Amino acid sequence: MEIAEKLELLADAAKYDVACTSSGVQRSGKKGQLGSATMAGCCHSFSADGRCITLLKVLMTNVCIYDCAYCVNRASNENVQRTCFRPRELAELTIGFYRRNYIEGLFLSSGVVRDPDFTSELMCETFRILREDLGFRGYIHAKVVPGTSPELMDRIGYLVDRMSVNLELPSNSSLQLLAPQKSREDILMPMRRIESMRAEDGDTRALMSKNTLYMSGRTRLVRKTRAYVPAGQSTQMIVGASPESDLQILNLTASLYRTFAMKRVFFSAYLPVNEDARLPSTDAVQLDREHRLYQADWLLRFYGYDVTEIIDERAPFLDTAIDPKANWALNHLDLFPVEVNTAPLEQLVRVPGIGIRGAQLILRARRQSTLHEQELRALGVAYKRARYFITCNGRYEGAGVAFTREALRARLAAPIQGGRHGRRAARALPGQLNLFDSVETPEKLRGTRSETALPAAANPLPEPEALFAS
Amino acid sequence: MSTRAHGTKVVTPDDITSEVVYCYDRSLEGLLSAIFAAYANHEDPTDVVCEQHLQPRLGQRVSFIETDLHHAERVRKGIEARCGWRTFDAVKKASLSERHDAGTAAYRFVRYALDEQKRRDCSRCRKRKSCKGVGGKGPCSKLRGRALSDITHPAVEPMHRILRSIDQECEHMRQFIRFEHLRDAEVDLWYARCNPKSSVIPLVMDHFVERFNVQPFIIYDEEHHLAGVYEGRSWYLVPTEETGSPELRLPDRAADEAPMQQAWKRFYRTVAVESRYNPELRQHFMPKRFWRNLTELQEDLPSLAPRSSHLTGNSGMNDSEHVPPCCQK
Repeated sequence: MEIAEKLELLADAAKYDVACTSSGVQRSGKKGQLGSATMAGCCHSFSADGRCITLLKVLMTNVCIYDCAYCVNRASNENVQRTCFRPRELAELTIGFYRRNYIEGLFLSSGVVRDPDFTSELMCETFRILREDLGFRGYIHAKVVPGTSPELMDRIGYLVDRMSVNLELPSNSSLQLLAPQKSREDILMPMRRIESMRAEDGDTRALMSKNTLYMSGRTRLVRKTRAYVPAGQSTQMIVGASPESDLQILNLTASLYRTFAMKRVFFSAYLPVNEDARLPSTDAVQLDREHRLYQADWLLRFYGYDVTEIIDERAPFLDTAIDPKANWALNHLDLFPVEVNTAPLEQLVRVPGIGIRGAQLILRARRQSTLHEQELRALGVAYKRARYFITCNGRYEGAGVAFTREALRARLAAPIQGGRHGRRAARALPGQLNLFDSVETPEKLRGTRSETALPAAANPLPEPEALFAS
Repeated sequence: MSTRAHGTKVVTPDDITSEVVYCYDRSLEGLLSAIFAAYANHEDPTDVVCEQHLQPRLGQRVSFIETDLHHAERVRKGIEARCGWRTFDAVKKASLSERHDAGTAAYRFVRYALDEQKRRDCSRCRKRKSCKGVGGKGPCSKLRGRALSDITHPAVEPMHRILRSIDQECEHMRQFIRFEHLRDAEVDLWYARCNPKSSVIPLVMDHFVERFNVQPFIIYDEEHHLAGVYEGRSWYLVPTEETGSPELRLPDRAADEAPMQQAWKRFYRTVAVESRYNPELRQHFMPKRFWRNLTELQEDLPSLAPRSSHLTGNSGMNDSEHVPPCCQK
């Protein structure tokens, strides 16, 4: 099979993975070696769905022994042509793309071929070729195959920048229903392992670099060794394929940040690609719900909110008409308005319309001048939203609108911009009567089409040797 | 009546329309010379613009400023000593901007930053006994860089807007530059074309040199006719207004170029999730003006011939001897 064809098949299978970022590690270039990495990452292109393409996101192979209901590559799906990359050809393709500035590095996930260890061996070999043979200093993100042995995981961990384990579904019962061959322990064990290894590696480095070892003399690392997963770990879960509420999802997210020191938790709105009795088929794709969950996630990570402030049992789903931060402000009107010229950073970031950057600029600017409407607008604060919650030098800025929950809610409610095309343009109201009992997505339609095109995929799971033979 | 008899200055038409605009060439040195001239002539020009944006207002007098490297150097030293290198860096960046008000903004900003230094009050400073610059006699280290952080001041705020747009354009270049592998018998190099609004190639060369230090490359700015050349050891800028675009002397694409571009295009098409189709969002992140130089958004390989017509007159120039020695294998 030609390499471009392989790439197309395996990128097609990987595109539903959302955890694709190139941030979290700063690595300068080195004479004679290709590549560098920046803390903020870099998006090199944007696909037609508006999502960023930063890494070469592919599967090692789309052969899989598991049979997860929501996945395109499940073993029982006979409409998929199966293939596999050789480690060296994938490494060389990555370098070829990198040299043209198409990508920031490699994102490698995989279906499970033969057993988890065999699959991870293939992935590890790819990373080794990239790092050691080709001297690549760009970004590498590895997806951990659940069930990989710890020793193999450690070897991968010293080669890559970020590792992630897919949580798949937000609760154990859903996991048992939709992905019966995976267990919760299989998923949490590698997360725990990555976390403890990272902590250990960090401690060792701190001791060595500060020369604090007892009787150390001139202790120096002989050779600079590669750090263990320097950009941390992330995870993702599918939202909307199972009945969990936002409350459960956000509580789980917060506990993941707390216990495993996750860098990111990604949410992926469930898109029907398979027909399966266990999966929901009547509900629309929950892109708006995903959007609100991400907003809540930002509040957890950057704004210093606690999960109990964002959501509680009384309303277990986030409001789709208003964003979680504005919602919190409306529920705590007794804390507002705040004075922009004196309020501390923690209070400023809780004002709707003032973000982290806006708050920092306010702190910087108010050392030398008093801030009023004009100054705030110049700083790039969303004054239109912020004015109901602030005073400028003692003067309340939101005059004209009653300072009540209902009146302010009407001002702050804003629909989510979903574009003028595609399925988010036609807004179906929740609970609206539906003539069809299943959602048709282009992916699903294509699946049925290819059924007629490829009538007999004789053996959906070829042996690995057969894959490499071609 | 009597005052005029005593020889006070006679009012001339020039004084009534005392507004003056300073016009400099597009370089940083030109801008610094204009700032020098404003201080030397005791004038306060309403506009400081570069040649291609010159459009005098009604009754405005135009004063063309000769670029003088010594004057420019004095201004650079003055700004760096009094206001710190960050302030000078900001001026440097603003001089690359294509906005018509960039020169004026930079001039006003420099004037404000220097005045801040002069206007300071040292009477309550704890270091006033040991400080050599008490009372405006020299630079004050406490005030260095203060001007830049006074973001909302009318003299500083336009400067920040310009700096933000420059930084954004740099980021766009880091994202959207696409190299092509060119090679023939004697030359092996990587070539990229781009069309930034502002002339930001000097600002992004360091990034690309660090990252792609194993490949000699040329980044050619079609808008400003400027090529950033890295030859394997160091990089330099080559203005090509006189010599014509480098494309005339480039070798053809390497054998692996077409399959790689094809693979990238297929990857790009595949990776979009159809159910999430949202072209507005894509265009927001990836503005259309960049599309003509993006490999993944083109149907087939565009020709390497230069696009702008006025350069074709140079096509008589011969090729291989003009290839910079650095790019020869």
